[in-house]
Amino acid sequence: MDIRKLAESLHPFERKVLPLVEERQTVRNIADACSLQEVEVMRALQWLENKGAVELSAEESELVDLDSNGKLYADKGLPERRFLDAISEDTLSVSQLEKKGLGKDEINACVGLLRRKGAVDLMKDGELSFTITDRGRELLEKPFLEESFLELDFPRDISSLSDEERFALESLKKRKGMVVVGKHKTKRAVLTDLGRDLISSAVREQDIVDVVSPALLRSGDWQGKSFRRFDVRINVPKVFGGKLQPYRVFLDWVRSRLVALGFEEMPGPLVESDFWDMDALFMPQFHSARDIHDAYYIEDATASDIPGKLLKKVKAAHESGGDTGSSGWKYHFDVGRTKQMLLRTQTTACSARKLASAPAVPGKYFAVARCFRYDVVDATHLPDFNQTEGFIIGEDLNFRHLVGLLKMFAREFADAEDVKVVPGYFPFTEPSAELFAKHPKLGWIELGGAGIFRPEVVKPLLGEYRPVLAWGLGIDRIAMLKLGIDDIRDLFSHDLQFLRDARLV
Amino acid sequence: MPGISFAYEDFCRLFGKKLKKDEFEHLLTFAKAELDDFLEEEVGVDLNDTNQPYLWSVEGLARLLRGVADIETGLAKTPVRKGKKEVIVDRKLSKVRPFIACFTAKGPAIDDYALKQLIQLQEKLCENFGRRRRKISIGIYPSRKIDFPVRFKAVSPDVEFVPLEFAEPMPISRILAEHPKGVEYGCTLEGSDVYPVLMDSSDAVLSLAPIINSAETGRVTEGDTELFFDCTGMDEPSVDLAANIFALALIDRGFEIESMTVKYSSRSAVTPSFRTTKIKFDKGLAERVSGLELKESDVKRLLERMRYGYSKGVVTVPSYRHDVMHVLDVVEDLIISYDFARLESLPLELPTVGSLLPKRRFIDLHRQLWTGLQYQEVFSPILSSGDLLYGRMCVDDFGTVSIKNFMSKSYSCVRSWLLPVLMDVLSKNKHVDYPQRLFEQGLVSRWHKDTIVDEEHLAAVCAHTSASYTELRQHVESVLRAQGVECQFEEFEWDCFIPGRAARVLVGKKELGVIGDLHPAVLEKFNLLVPVVGCELDLGVLG
Repeated sequence: MDIRKLAESLHPFERKVLPLVEERQTVRNIADACSLQEVEVMRALQWLENKGAVELSAEESELVDLDSNGKLYADKGLPERRFLDAISEDTLSVSQLEKKGLGKDEINACVGLLRRKGAVDLMKDGELSFTITDRGRELLEKPFLEESFLELDFPRDISSLSDEERFALESLKKRKGMVVVGKHKTKRAVLTDLGRDLISSAVREQDIVDVVSPALLRSGDWQGKSFRRFDVRINVPKVFGGKLQPYRVFLDWVRSRLVALGFEEMPGPLVESDFWDMDALFMPQFHSARDIHDAYYIEDATASDIPGKLLKKVKAAHESGGDTGSSGWKYHFDVGRTKQMLLRTQTTACSARKLASAPAVPGKYFAVARCFRYDVVDATHLPDFNQTEGFIIGEDLNFRHLVGLLKMFAREFADAEDVKVVPGYFPFTEPSAELFAKHPKLGWIELGGAGIFRPEVVKPLLGEYRPVLAWGLGIDRIAMLKLGIDDIRDLFSHDLQFLRDARLV
Repeated sequence: MPGISFAYEDFCRLFGKKLKKDEFEHLLTFAKAELDDFLEEEVGVDLNDTNQPYLWSVEGLARLLRGVADIETGLAKTPVRKGKKEVIVDRKLSKVRPFIACFTAKGPAIDDYALKQLIQLQEKLCENFGRRRRKISIGIYPSRKIDFPVRFKAVSPDVEFVPLEFAEPMPISRILAEHPKGVEYGCTLEGSDVYPVLMDSSDAVLSLAPIINSAETGRVTEGDTELFFDCTGMDEPSVDLAANIFALALIDRGFEIESMTVKYSSRSAVTPSFRTTKIKFDKGLAERVSGLELKESDVKRLLERMRYGYSKGVVTVPSYRHDVMHVLDVVEDLIISYDFARLESLPLELPTVGSLLPKRRFIDLHRQLWTGLQYQEVFSPILSSGDLLYGRMCVDDFGTVSIKNFMSKSYSCVRSWLLPVLMDVLSKNKHVDYPQRLFEQGLVSRWHKDTIVDEEHLAAVCAHTSASYTELRQHVESVLRAQGVECQFEEFEWDCFIPGRAARVLVGKKELGVIGDLHPAVLEKFNLLVPVVGCELDLGVLG
């Protein structure tokens, strides 16, 4: 990059710091010399290092700094001096010393210290009192080593101390709250040739526009100036915008694909009657999927919307086949049972309702709907999941059309070319089929099921038998593959970071 | 779906030929079966068809696949010797356990593996087809210990015998209360004061149906060559079917079957019946549904491969199948026999106009507008709990749809509103960067007077150190303005909101929803240390 471009890209901080590097060297010194905080100087130096204008090094050193008492005495004078000063006129007792502003702790500390130095004599006359000695007066003449030490600039590198200062430091370390000593890293910067060139490039601060402000625009002062260049490659802090939920977006996509393929969406309630959920679908009332352990039944609820005529026909289909050409399941159909309410177990309930409401022929219908199963929650089971089902009704439709439809679905929804359709079993279709697709890693996976609705289903609901192609897709499974999710519970994840980071497909 | 396991070598012997794994796997699809495990000593297979119980045994499976592979086609032979042994049925059983089928079998000495296979079929039939023994149950006994004729009797609960796994005689009442099987299956006899017991002519109890066999006469062991079989149940066709399935499995395993006469009070029946049924083939319907052109010879060949009998338009359904209710059931087998893999698919040329439910348009519009305001969409299960919906929200129940047979408390009702769900999400994400703005759109369900009504709701929450009513209200207004909807905000108090900081949102005279600062008492229940403002809107009001 040419030197001018580089000079234009300097941040105001960098511009302030760069000329100070050679003379001031350390972060702290540079910060002292300009109006920036140390962190700002550090940031500027790092940017300059990235640009190759300075080289940074770190030295570890031991630093001494004043602690709370140290700072106090640097200001107010050491207690031993105040002690000696106080008794230099007259012998004083403890209480008299306290009146002169010395604390109990301070007096105690001073007594030991000054006696060791031979600076005071003690007398006990009821109360303890002190008299200054000649040695004491001598001491008062000149500053104590510790006093001189406290007057230095802090924090200070220990290696830079004189012998006397070191001696004072050792003695202060023994006293409470006077000094703290700690390891410290000193960042030091050295100008590179490029840095020097930058300084001498003579791009002046006043020639560069940093912020494009309304005032600047109003005045037109930007004319003839350069704009500070940004480093457009560096990382910036993350923000998380408002976002749709990935699984829901997938389901939106499934709906839109089905609409594009000419399917009409069917409605249906979450809480269904046994009638629409199972009986109308020719599932015998003794079927194992109707066990109390396979569906969620609703407390105190009875269906009131079952058309009587239809109920009669469905009952007949179950018991003897009615007029459907079937022998039926040959059992007593319980009319009370059909009115029980449960949480919809299969989207086929929506198909049953649609078939019974004189659907347009030809017609293609679908529903992406929430269904519920009595399952223990784990990585592959949810009691609450989505199914996609539908049916196609027309003239002269047959099983070979259904096979074609399934292969098309595999391509549309799972990008699968290598598919197989094998015999399957559903109580409401005959013939029935299952759709598998080859997954590059998982092998053959089941994508869905399909079949031609049984006459025992179609005739009562539609009034006549004709082959109606019914299909269902395991949409949750396909969603997991598309979204790269292994645990089905993550489809309904409540982990906000997961949702913020999630990829939408 | 039922799953069975067996030795692969045994399958190949019954099938009549060694098969490679992939050939075996392909053949299984003809039985609507899937390979679960494949090891030489044990193969696991899942059967999808819950309506064809004969396939729940290696014998039945091999029998069908012999046909599919053209090794042996047409109806399976059912050699049976007419026996003289009888079982006499007590008329007092008519309400408890009215029907029984019995036979004896003589064959190769039973080994450990064969015994396991018999028990497997017995269990599958009793548990799945037999509805946990309620509809049918099966007993197998070494016949040498039995003095015929056998009586199926209704007895009092004081009758004693030694049940399997116990050493001492126990009265029936104790067996039902203490024996593990009595505890498990006792409910099938609930409400009865007499109990169905099989007894031989020297008054030895063979079993208490459908609970447990006697330890003295009812335990088959390795080396046994002669077996007595019984199947009892609530309807005769099911009892008959189970006996046919079991007897034919034994025939396939090399046993000779001798039938028995069941004497009811007013009639008698010979079991196993091996009674086949006939159904008229409908070529027109078959072609219409399958999309295949069928010649008479094709029909015969294809059906015989599925082990039907076929002659001049009449199909004979084997005695071990009761699933053929409609001729389409036969047609399906014909298509399976043709092989799904060989079917050429036809293009679907059916021009129709696709459409979404009318509500989707404004639902999706709402979702877009809220994301535009920087809200993250959440998608949650619909099942919820009263504790979350009301307890932690400090409000009273307003029409919950409760589940009678819930499995876990946390999924014991249908959600009636969405705001608590979002509060729950906030409480799980306290470590994630704020501000947190969330919304969920979805169905809720609740009782309105006497009916259950689904509503499309939308709830939003906004949580950060300075979150408050004004911010969310601006957002609600912005979303509604974008749809040209004007709304009013009316003072409103509800326990989940801070008094004086909540409003009812009105569109004209209709209540669209509520909005307010969540009360600290609610925040406390969700362990939240940040102010939250939330709203709940019923989108149906706008639609």
